[in-house]
Amino acid sequence: MGPAVDGLRQAIQEAVGGGDTRIVLNLAEVPMIDSSGIGLLVRFLASTKQLGGNIKLVQPNKYAIQTLRLVGVLNLFEIFDNDDAAVDSFA
Amino acid sequence: MSAEFSGGPEHSALSELLDLSMPADAEAIGAVVDSISETLAQLEVPEQKRFEVALAVQEALANAVVHGCGNDRSKQVRCRLKSDPQGRIVIIVTDPGPGFSPDLQRDPKQSENLYADHGRGVYLIRQLMDEVHFERSGSEILMWKY
Repeated sequence: MGPAVDGLRQAIQEAVGGGDTRIVLNLAEVPMIDSSGIGLLVRFLASTKQLGGNIKLVQPNKYAIQTLRLVGVLNLFEIFDNDDAAVDSFA
Repeated sequence: MSAEFSGGPEHSALSELLDLSMPADAEAIGAVVDSISETLAQLEVPEQKRFEVALAVQEALANAVVHGCGNDRSKQVRCRLKSDPQGRIVIIVTDPGPGFSPDLQRDPKQSENLYADHGRGVYLIRQLMDEVHFERSGSEILMWKY
Protein backbone atom coordinates (compact mmCIF):
# COMPACT_ATOMS: atom_id res chain seq x y z
CA MET A 1 0.00 0.00 0.00
CA GLY A 2 1.08 3.58 -0.39
CA PRO A 3 3.98 4.93 -2.45
CA ALA A 4 5.43 1.55 -3.35
CA VAL A 5 2.20 0.29 -4.88
CA ASP A 6 1.50 3.67 -6.49
CA GLY A 7 4.94 3.64 -8.10
CA LEU A 8 4.50 0.12 -9.42
CA ARG A 9 1.04 0.94 -10.74
CA GLN A 10 2.37 3.94 -12.61
CA ALA A 11 5.32 2.00 -14.03
CA ILE A 12 3.14 -0.82 -15.33
CA GLN A 13 0.51 1.57 -16.69
CA GLU A 14 3.21 3.43 -18.60
CA ALA A 15 4.65 0.19 -19.98
CA VAL A 16 1.26 -1.14 -21.07
CA GLY A 17 0.28 2.28 -22.42
CA GLY A 18 3.45 2.25 -24.50
CA GLY A 19 2.55 -1.14 -25.95
CA ASP A 20 4.79 -3.27 -23.71
CA THR A 21 2.57 -6.02 -22.39
CA ARG A 22 5.30 -8.58 -21.72
CA ILE A 23 6.52 -7.54 -18.30
CA VAL A 24 9.19 -8.94 -15.98
CA LEU A 25 9.02 -7.88 -12.34
CA ASN A 26 12.11 -8.48 -10.23
CA LEU A 27 10.97 -8.79 -6.62
CA ALA A 28 14.35 -9.56 -5.07
CA GLU A 29 14.35 -6.33 -3.07
CA VAL A 30 10.70 -6.57 -2.05
CA PRO A 31 10.51 -7.73 1.58
CA MET A 32 6.74 -8.10 1.75
CA ILE A 33 3.71 -8.03 -0.55
CA ASP A 34 0.42 -6.92 0.94
CA SER A 35 -3.11 -7.32 -0.38
CA SER A 36 -3.02 -4.05 -2.31
CA GLY A 37 0.14 -5.16 -4.07
CA ILE A 38 -1.40 -8.53 -4.85
CA GLY A 39 -4.53 -6.82 -6.19
CA LEU A 40 -2.36 -4.71 -8.46
CA LEU A 41 -0.40 -7.72 -9.74
CA VAL A 42 -3.43 -9.85 -10.57
CA ARG A 43 -5.29 -6.96 -12.17
CA PHE A 44 -2.39 -6.19 -14.49
CA LEU A 45 -1.78 -9.89 -15.06
CA ALA A 46 -5.32 -10.17 -16.38
CA SER A 47 -5.08 -7.04 -18.52
CA THR A 48 -1.70 -7.90 -20.04
CA LYS A 49 -2.86 -11.44 -20.82
CA GLN A 50 -5.90 -10.03 -22.60
CA LEU A 51 -3.45 -8.08 -24.78
CA GLY A 52 -1.36 -11.16 -25.51
CA GLY A 53 1.27 -10.44 -22.87
CA ASN A 54 2.04 -11.60 -19.37
CA ILE A 55 3.64 -10.58 -16.06
CA LYS A 56 6.45 -12.84 -14.88
CA LEU A 57 7.99 -12.67 -11.42
CA VAL A 58 11.69 -12.96 -10.63
CA GLN A 59 13.13 -13.92 -7.24
CA PRO A 60 10.20 -13.33 -4.94
CA ASN A 61 11.36 -14.09 -1.40
CA LYS A 62 9.83 -16.87 0.68
CA TYR A 63 7.43 -14.48 2.37
CA ALA A 64 6.13 -13.11 -0.91
CA ILE A 65 5.60 -16.67 -2.14
CA GLN A 66 3.86 -17.60 1.11
CA THR A 67 1.55 -14.61 0.81
CA LEU A 68 0.69 -15.26 -2.83
CA ARG A 69 -0.02 -18.89 -1.93
CA LEU A 70 -2.20 -17.94 1.05
CA VAL A 71 -4.60 -16.00 -1.15
CA GLY A 72 -4.57 -18.59 -3.90
CA VAL A 73 -2.87 -16.66 -6.68
CA LEU A 74 0.64 -18.13 -6.67
CA ASN A 75 -0.20 -20.52 -9.50
CA LEU A 76 -1.38 -17.67 -11.70
CA PHE A 77 2.22 -16.48 -12.09
CA GLU A 78 5.32 -17.92 -13.69
CA ILE A 79 8.30 -17.48 -11.39
CA PHE A 80 11.97 -17.37 -12.38
CA ASP A 81 15.34 -17.34 -10.64
CA ASN A 82 16.77 -14.53 -12.77
CA ASP A 83 15.78 -11.78 -15.20
CA ASP A 84 17.30 -13.46 -18.25
CA ALA A 85 15.31 -16.63 -17.78
CA ALA A 86 12.11 -14.62 -17.42
CA VAL A 87 12.86 -12.55 -20.53
CA ASP A 88 13.82 -15.64 -22.54
CA SER A 89 10.54 -17.29 -21.59
CA PHE A 90 8.75 -14.73 -23.76
CA ALA A 91 10.66 -15.81 -26.87
CA MET B 1 0.79 -1.75 33.02
CA SER B 2 -1.75 -4.56 33.15
CA ALA B 3 -5.34 -4.75 32.07
CA GLU B 4 -8.18 -7.21 31.73
CA PHE B 5 -9.22 -7.45 28.11
CA SER B 6 -11.99 -9.13 26.20
CA GLY B 7 -11.83 -10.38 22.65
CA GLY B 8 -9.53 -13.33 23.03
CA PRO B 9 -8.27 -15.79 25.61
CA GLU B 10 -10.52 -15.24 28.60
CA HIS B 11 -9.41 -13.20 31.57
CA SER B 12 -5.82 -12.85 30.46
CA ALA B 13 -3.76 -10.27 32.31
CA LEU B 14 -2.14 -8.28 29.54
CA SER B 15 0.97 -6.16 29.64
CA GLU B 16 1.05 -3.22 27.29
CA LEU B 17 4.18 -3.11 25.12
CA LEU B 18 3.26 -0.35 22.68
CA ASP B 19 0.48 2.20 22.32
CA LEU B 20 0.82 4.14 19.07
CA SER B 21 -1.38 6.57 17.21
CA MET B 22 -0.94 7.58 13.59
CA PRO B 23 -2.73 9.85 11.13
CA ALA B 24 -4.96 8.07 8.64
CA ASP B 25 -2.32 8.24 5.95
CA ALA B 26 -0.97 5.27 4.02
CA GLU B 27 2.52 6.68 4.33
CA ALA B 28 2.31 6.48 8.12
CA ILE B 29 1.68 2.73 8.18
CA GLY B 30 5.25 1.62 7.62
CA ALA B 31 6.62 3.29 10.75
CA VAL B 32 4.02 1.63 12.96
CA VAL B 33 4.65 -1.78 11.41
CA ASP B 34 8.39 -1.26 11.90
CA SER B 35 7.91 -0.33 15.56
CA ILE B 36 5.95 -3.49 16.22
CA SER B 37 8.46 -5.65 14.35
CA GLU B 38 11.35 -4.11 16.29
CA THR B 39 9.60 -4.71 19.60
CA LEU B 40 8.95 -8.34 18.66
CA ALA B 41 12.57 -8.74 17.63
CA GLN B 42 13.65 -7.45 21.05
CA LEU B 43 11.38 -10.11 22.55
CA GLU B 44 13.21 -12.68 20.39
CA VAL B 45 10.08 -13.60 18.48
CA PRO B 46 11.18 -15.78 15.51
CA GLU B 47 11.46 -14.13 12.09
CA GLN B 48 8.65 -16.16 10.51
CA LYS B 49 6.24 -15.12 13.23
CA ARG B 50 7.40 -11.50 13.02
CA PHE B 51 6.66 -11.51 9.31
CA GLU B 52 3.17 -12.91 9.84
CA VAL B 53 2.39 -10.31 12.49
CA ALA B 54 3.87 -7.48 10.41
CA LEU B 55 1.77 -8.33 7.37
CA ALA B 56 -1.39 -8.73 9.45
CA VAL B 57 -0.78 -5.35 11.10
CA GLN B 58 -0.10 -3.77 7.72
CA GLU B 59 -3.44 -5.07 6.45
CA ALA B 60 -5.34 -3.99 9.55
CA LEU B 61 -3.86 -0.49 9.44
CA ALA B 62 -4.58 -0.20 5.72
CA ASN B 63 -8.20 -1.16 6.34
CA ALA B 64 -8.41 1.36 9.16
CA VAL B 65 -6.95 4.15 7.01
CA VAL B 66 -9.00 3.46 3.90
CA HIS B 67 -12.31 2.14 5.22
CA GLY B 68 -12.35 3.39 8.80
CA CYS B 69 -11.08 6.89 8.11
CA GLY B 70 -11.76 7.39 4.41
CA ASN B 71 -8.11 8.41 3.92
CA ASP B 72 -8.81 11.52 5.99
CA ARG B 73 -5.45 12.21 7.61
CA SER B 74 -7.04 14.48 10.20
CA LYS B 75 -8.36 11.26 11.77
CA GLN B 76 -6.29 8.99 13.97
CA VAL B 77 -5.74 5.24 14.00
CA ARG B 78 -4.61 3.62 17.24
CA CYS B 79 -2.44 0.51 17.37
CA ARG B 80 -1.57 -1.30 20.59
CA LEU B 81 0.67 -4.28 21.22
CA LYS B 82 0.13 -6.34 24.37
CA SER B 83 1.33 -9.66 25.69
CA ASP B 84 0.04 -12.10 28.27
CA PRO B 85 2.02 -14.11 30.83
CA GLN B 86 2.13 -17.09 28.43
CA GLY B 87 4.01 -15.00 25.88
CA ARG B 88 1.05 -14.70 23.54
CA ILE B 89 0.72 -11.33 21.87
CA VAL B 90 -2.27 -9.36 20.71
CA ILE B 91 -2.32 -6.36 18.41
CA ILE B 92 -5.36 -4.11 18.62
CA VAL B 93 -6.08 -1.66 15.80
CA THR B 94 -8.84 0.86 16.38
CA ASP B 95 -10.28 3.41 13.97
CA PRO B 96 -13.00 6.06 14.46
CA GLY B 97 -15.17 4.75 11.64
CA PRO B 98 -18.60 3.10 11.76
CA GLY B 99 -17.17 -0.41 11.40
CA PHE B 100 -18.14 -3.14 8.98
CA SER B 101 -19.39 -6.72 8.85
CA PRO B 102 -16.38 -9.02 8.60
CA ASP B 103 -18.61 -12.05 8.05
CA LEU B 104 -19.70 -10.58 4.72
CA GLN B 105 -16.19 -10.79 3.33
CA ARG B 106 -15.94 -12.91 0.19
CA ASP B 107 -13.52 -15.80 -0.26
CA PRO B 108 -10.66 -14.49 -2.41
CA LYS B 109 -9.68 -18.04 -3.41
CA GLN B 110 -12.93 -18.62 -5.24
CA SER B 111 -12.24 -18.69 -8.96
CA GLU B 112 -14.49 -15.70 -9.66
CA ASN B 113 -12.46 -13.61 -7.18
CA LEU B 114 -8.91 -14.61 -8.13
CA TYR B 115 -8.33 -11.60 -10.36
CA ALA B 116 -10.11 -9.08 -8.12
CA ASP B 117 -8.02 -6.04 -7.23
CA HIS B 118 -9.27 -5.89 -3.63
CA GLY B 119 -10.95 -7.98 -0.95
CA ARG B 120 -8.02 -9.98 0.44
CA GLY B 121 -7.03 -8.01 3.54
CA VAL B 122 -9.25 -9.56 6.21
CA TYR B 123 -8.80 -13.01 4.70
CA LEU B 124 -5.03 -12.61 4.92
CA ILE B 125 -5.23 -11.46 8.54
CA ARG B 126 -7.27 -14.54 9.45
CA GLN B 127 -4.75 -16.78 7.72
CA LEU B 128 -1.71 -15.17 9.31
CA MET B 129 -2.91 -14.86 12.90
CA ASP B 130 -4.02 -17.53 15.39
CA GLU B 131 -7.16 -15.79 16.54
CA VAL B 132 -8.98 -12.71 15.24
CA HIS B 133 -11.86 -10.83 16.84
CA PHE B 134 -13.75 -7.75 15.82
CA GLU B 135 -15.17 -5.35 18.40
CA ARG B 136 -17.01 -2.03 18.25
CA SER B 137 -19.06 -3.10 15.20
CA GLY B 138 -15.86 -3.89 13.34
CA SER B 139 -13.99 -0.66 13.95
CA GLU B 140 -11.60 -2.48 16.26
CA ILE B 141 -9.72 -5.65 15.41
CA LEU B 142 -7.87 -7.83 17.90
CA MET B 143 -5.28 -10.13 16.37
CA TRP B 144 -3.71 -12.82 18.52
CA LYS B 145 -0.46 -14.64 17.85
CA TYR B 146 0.51 -17.54 20.09
